[in-house]
Amino acid sequence: MYGELGLKLVRDAKRVQNLPSLPSYQTDLVRSTVREVRDLDRDNARILEPYTSASQAGTPSTFNPQDDPATACALLVNHLAMRRNKRCLLAYHRVRAQKLEEACWAGVDVLDRQAGGDGAGNGEEGGQGGAAAMNLSPEEEEYVRRYSDLLAAYKGQWTDIDLTGSLEPPRDLFVDVRVLKDAGEIQTEYGAITLSKNSQLYVKESDVERLIQQGYLQKLS
Amino acid sequence: MDIDISDILASVSPPSVSPSLLDLQSLTRAFIAERVAPSLLPYPSALMTRVLARIAAQIELVEHETGKVDPRANFRLVVLQTEVERWKYLVRALLRARIAKLADYPLFYLEDAEVSGRLSAAERQYLGARQGLLGEHYAVAFLGQFPAGLRRLDDASGGVRMVDRPDEEAAVFVRCLRDIGPVRVEGTDTEADMRRGDVWVMRWSVVREWWENGDVELI
Repeated sequence: MYGELGLKLVRDAKRVQNLPSLPSYQTDLVRSTVREVRDLDRDNARILEPYTSASQAGTPSTFNPQDDPATACALLVNHLAMRRNKRCLLAYHRVRAQKLEEACWAGVDVLDRQAGGDGAGNGEEGGQGGAAAMNLSPEEEEYVRRYSDLLAAYKGQWTDIDLTGSLEPPRDLFVDVRVLKDAGEIQTEYGAITLSKNSQLYVKESDVERLIQQGYLQKLS
Repeated sequence: MDIDISDILASVSPPSVSPSLLDLQSLTRAFIAERVAPSLLPYPSALMTRVLARIAAQIELVEHETGKVDPRANFRLVVLQTEVERWKYLVRALLRARIAKLADYPLFYLEDAEVSGRLSAAERQYLGARQGLLGEHYAVAFLGQFPAGLRRLDDASGGVRMVDRPDEEAAVFVRCLRDIGPVRVEGTDTEADMRRGDVWVMRWSVVREWWENGDVELI
């Protein structure tokens, strides 16, 4: 009671910040925190009931905090606890939303991964470092879907510049890459290149940047 | 809201600089300033239009020349492309730095007319849409079940505003481009004599005005 659940949420959010992938959404915790808020609100309404019914009967509202400090204090504590819970919930959801947005910017297909994590035995996917499954709530899935649309729309306004590209300053125009997964054939300005597994190529970095991000290619330094 | 800093650049750099080099300088400066300043800076729209046009022209040139097999032209192309990649990087990093700031304080930049004037139209659209999405997400996830009085995201009751704002008092490194003379930092006894070429660590709120006039640059 009084913010204990909120604290758990914030602790979880803090943990999420340092994790490579999202742990599962705390549906129960969120639900009970919301329930706590509603209970507190109902408590407050009950405390105020004698006063409001009096005011409805014609006399102006009679509750004066100075007459009854104990009641006023109870109201205040309840109210502060509600606000605190709200903050905790906001913080929890925001941290997760931020993580998801980061993933969108980095070109990770979160929804794809989500589906991969749900289905049994996606061994190859799980074996690769950061490719752990994201555990989203349905609301978050919806958010990611709409956010990626928004991002695509914003990106589309900059035709020549790939906004989701690497934020490392470019050093060389061409890089050595090793192909980790078959990626088929890609078109570059020097003609088509076939990317077959385990081959090593010397290509223009901007041509293959997305494939590197998606884990098809590995950059060799 | 766009600040014309070309006159300052002209006064600092030798007079015979080509306009493209000047643009590169201003772009680099805009990029560094945006990365360093704690709050969002005005969108350099004129500069960005020029820069984007330049990049587009260069890309076209590169595409046009690719067909030739002359090895010497090829080398020139590689140099050109490398340069184009660098310009692109600068633009990308500048835009991303702005987006990151917007993402941190969305309501602050949406609410205040003065600060929202610093955004480009595309950014404003993006930010508005994103905040809408986020608000909806919160509402569906939990706020919708809250008592009506507690549903707002920009509540100011209880003496605490819910809207976070960037820390204008954060310290930044500046280099003076002109003599400014003694500067007092409000609320403290500190006084600094700022001369051309000096490098100081100052509060952003203090030096902001001089940055806008082009008397200092952020580094």
